[in-house]
Amino acid sequence: MRRTATVATGAMILPQIIPSTAMGMGGKLPPSDRIVMGAIGLGGMGTGNMSNFLRQAKDVQFVAVCDVDTKHSVNAKRIIDEFYKNSDCRIYGDYRDFLEKEKLDAVTIALPDHWHGLIYTAAANKKIDIYGEKPLARTIHDSQAIVSAVKKNNIVWQTGSWQRSVENFRRGAELVINGRIGKISRVEVGLPDGGKGIGTPPVTEVPAELNWEMWLGPAPKVPFRGVYHGNWCWILDYSGGQLTDWTGHHIDIAQWGLGTDRTGPVVFAGEGVYPRDGIYNAPVEYDFLCRYADGIWMRVANASRLRFGMGTTWYGEKGWIHVDRGDVLRSSDPNVLKEVIGENEIHLYKSNDHHRNFLECVKSRAETAAPAEIAHRSISIGLLGEIAMTTGQKIFWNPEKQEIIGDPVASRLLSRPYRLPWNLPTI
Amino acid sequence: MKTKYLLLFVLTGLLAILYSCHKSTDYKALIVTGQNNHNWQASSPILKTILEQTGLFDAEIAKTPEKGGDMNIFNPDFSKYNLVVIDYNGDSWSDKTNAAFVDYVNNGGGVVFYHAANNSFPKWKEYNLMAGLGGWGNRSEKDGPYMYFRNDSLIVDPSAGRGGSHAKRHEFEVKIRNTEHPITKGLPVHWMHGNDELYSQLRGPGKYMEILATAYADTAGGGTGHHEPMLMTINYGKGRIFHTALGHADTGGGPAMECAGFISTFQRGAEWAASGKVTQKIPYDFPNAAGVSLRTDFKELTLEDDLTKIGQYEITKSTKYFTDLQSRIRNEARTTEELIKFEKLMIKVLQDNNATDEGKKLLLGELSWMGSDLSVPVIRELALNDRLKDAAEFALARLQPTK
Repeated sequence: MRRTATVATGAMILPQIIPSTAMGMGGKLPPSDRIVMGAIGLGGMGTGNMSNFLRQAKDVQFVAVCDVDTKHSVNAKRIIDEFYKNSDCRIYGDYRDFLEKEKLDAVTIALPDHWHGLIYTAAANKKIDIYGEKPLARTIHDSQAIVSAVKKNNIVWQTGSWQRSVENFRRGAELVINGRIGKISRVEVGLPDGGKGIGTPPVTEVPAELNWEMWLGPAPKVPFRGVYHGNWCWILDYSGGQLTDWTGHHIDIAQWGLGTDRTGPVVFAGEGVYPRDGIYNAPVEYDFLCRYADGIWMRVANASRLRFGMGTTWYGEKGWIHVDRGDVLRSSDPNVLKEVIGENEIHLYKSNDHHRNFLECVKSRAETAAPAEIAHRSISIGLLGEIAMTTGQKIFWNPEKQEIIGDPVASRLLSRPYRLPWNLPTI
Repeated sequence: MKTKYLLLFVLTGLLAILYSCHKSTDYKALIVTGQNNHNWQASSPILKTILEQTGLFDAEIAKTPEKGGDMNIFNPDFSKYNLVVIDYNGDSWSDKTNAAFVDYVNNGGGVVFYHAANNSFPKWKEYNLMAGLGGWGNRSEKDGPYMYFRNDSLIVDPSAGRGGSHAKRHEFEVKIRNTEHPITKGLPVHWMHGNDELYSQLRGPGKYMEILATAYADTAGGGTGHHEPMLMTINYGKGRIFHTALGHADTGGGPAMECAGFISTFQRGAEWAASGKVTQKIPYDFPNAAGVSLRTDFKELTLEDDLTKIGQYEITKSTKYFTDLQSRIRNEARTTEELIKFEKLMIKVLQDNNATDEGKKLLLGELSWMGSDLSVPVIRELALNDRLKDAAEFALARLQPTK
C-alpha cells in the first residue's frame, strides 16, 4: 500500500508486523498489498465493523485495536488472532498511543458521539483513511472540524450510513430526484420513539477493565453509575438520543432524494418530550419542522406520530414515495416504481456493499457513498432540530455560512465546551 | 340632594365594577357518588379538587343514600349543570332520576364516566349507550361486543364471554390512538400511567364512540394480550361524554389518581364534555414513555417549588424539579427579558451557601446556554471552588468564549 514505505524497500521496521500469511498462502495478496487496518472502539457496533473488514481477507490486514475497556480489546484481539491463526494483534488503551505507534492505512472507529470530534480529527491528521460511525459528531462545531480535517489531509472517509449502499433506498431517492412524483412539497422522516428510563442508579465502583476517565474524555466528569456501553445514547452529554442516532440514516436519505445533501434547511422549530426524572435525559419524543430555502418542508418526528411510522416519505405533486428498512419501497402509484431512469437523467451513487465501497475507495482514492461533507449536512439537521427543541425558539440557519442568524443564545449550543485538558482547536 | 344622587351613582358604579371583577368559573359540575365497590369517599373529593384546579369548574358532590336506602330522595336537578361526573356504582336510581339524566344528556349536558362508573347499571340501556363500554355486573355478549386494538386495527369482537376483568395492578403504558382529538392533541403518544387496574374485556354497544387511547394488557402479567380501551369519547343526543377507565382510588388517593396523566386527561376530557373544546395547556409534568409522573396533593409544581428543591438536590434524588424548570424556560421565555427573570432566580440559588453542589451544577449547565453577563461574576466565584470548577468552567466557556 502507498504508505508502507517499509515494504517498498523490503526493510523491516518494528513494530510493523509481517504475518505468516505473508508467505503468499492460499491466493491472498501479500500484506504489502493489503490495506493495513486498525480499530478504535470495539463495542457492539465496533466489533461488527471490525469483523466485516477482517473477513475481507484479500484486501485487509488487521493489526491493532484500541479501547478504554480491556474486555472489549481483548475480545477483539481474540477474534483477529483466531482469524489469522497467530497472536500478533496489538492492543492499546489510549488512542493517542495507538495513532502514534501504529502505521495504518485505514482505521474503523465506533465511539460515543462526544469523542468523535477529537478522535476523528486526530486520525485524519495522521492521514489515515477512516470508516467512522454516524452521527458525524455531537455538535455542529465538532462536525465542521472533522470535515475540515478530512479535506485538509485528503483522506478517504466513509460514514457508517450504510443505507446509502442499499438498493431500495437508492432507488427511492433516485425516482424522487428525477421527478417521478413531480415537484416535492414536503418530506416526513420517522425515527424511533424513546423508551422507559432506568431511574437513577446509585454510584458504583468502576469495573477493573474500564478506564472511566478516558471513557468520559472531554465530557463532564461524573461518577460512574454503570451507564456506559450501549446505554450512553440516552444521556445528552454523550448523544442526542434516538434523534441524533438515526439522523444519519433516514434524514440522510431524505436529503439524498431532495438533492440537498451538501446544503440544508434554513429554519427550524419544534418540541421535544423529555424524561422528567432519572439519569436518561434525551428526549423520548420529538417533533420538529424545518424548511429549505425553496420552500420544501421536512418534518422529523418519532415514528408514533407519523402516518408511515419509521422511514422517509417524500410527497410530491404526483404522489408520494416511502422507503424504510427491510427493502420497503412504496408509492401512491405502483407504476412509479417501474419507471426506468434514462441515461441522461440523474444517477445516484451506486454501492452494493458499504464496507467494500470504503476499501475500493481507499485503493482508488475516489469519494465514497457517504463522504464526510454529506454526513455533516445530515447531522446538522438533527442537531439544529435539537437546538430548536432545547431553546423552544425558531432557529434561522445560514447553510452557506453555517451560522445561526440573530440568536447568540441559541448559537452557544453549536458547541459543547471540552473538559480540560481536552481541547479541539476550532477550524 | 344632588350629593345623595351622586353617592348613589358612585355606589352603583362601584358595585358594577365589583361584579365584573369577580371572575366566575365557566362551568358548573356535579359529581354523583355515594355508593361504589371502590373507595368513593376518597375519590370524589379528589375529583372535585382536580376539576376546580383547572379554574374552569365549580364542582359540587351529590351523594345518594347508602345501599338499600330510599332512592326516591335522590333527585338532582341535572339541568343546572354543564357537567355530571359519575363516581357511582351501586343501587339503581329511581326511574324519575334516570329519565332526568337522559334528558340532561340529550339536551347537550356533558358527562364524565370515571373508572368503576362503567360497572354500574348493567340493565339500564341508555346508561350503557352513554358509557359505550362497561364491565362486571354480569355483562356478557348480550350487552355488546368487546372492543380493543390489535396493532393499529380496531377489533370489534362479538365472542361470548364475561364483560370486564383486570389482572394484578401495575404501572402500564398508555398509547394515544387519536392524536388529533382536542383531548389528546399534543400529548406524548406513549406515556407511563401510575400503578392502576388495567380494565380489560370491556364490552358494550360502543355506538358513536371513539377510542382515544389504549393500554396493552401484557399476557406476562396475566393480561388479555390486547390493547384495551382506556380513554373514550361518546356522543349521545346533543351530549358529549368522556369515559376514563383509569384512576382506581386508594385511601388518600394513590398512584393511579396522583398520576399527572390521569389528572390531565380527566381535566381535558371534562372541559371537552362541558364545552366541546379544550383550552387547557398541556402541563409540564405530563408523563411520557420514560417513566411515571405522580403529583403531590394533585398539584402541579410551581417555579418556587422547583428552585427550592433544586437547591436541595443530591445525586440520588429526583431531577424532576430541574426538568420542570427547563420546561418552563423552554416554553415561557420568549424574550431576553423573560430569560433574565429566570436567570436572576437561578443566580440566587447559586449564591445560596446552603444550596447543594449538585444542585448548583445542574443550574450551571442550564445557564451555560441561556445565561448572560449577569451570571458571570457569580460563576467566576464558583469556579474557585474545587468541587464546582468543572461545571463553572463549562458555563464560562459558553458565556464568555475566547475568540
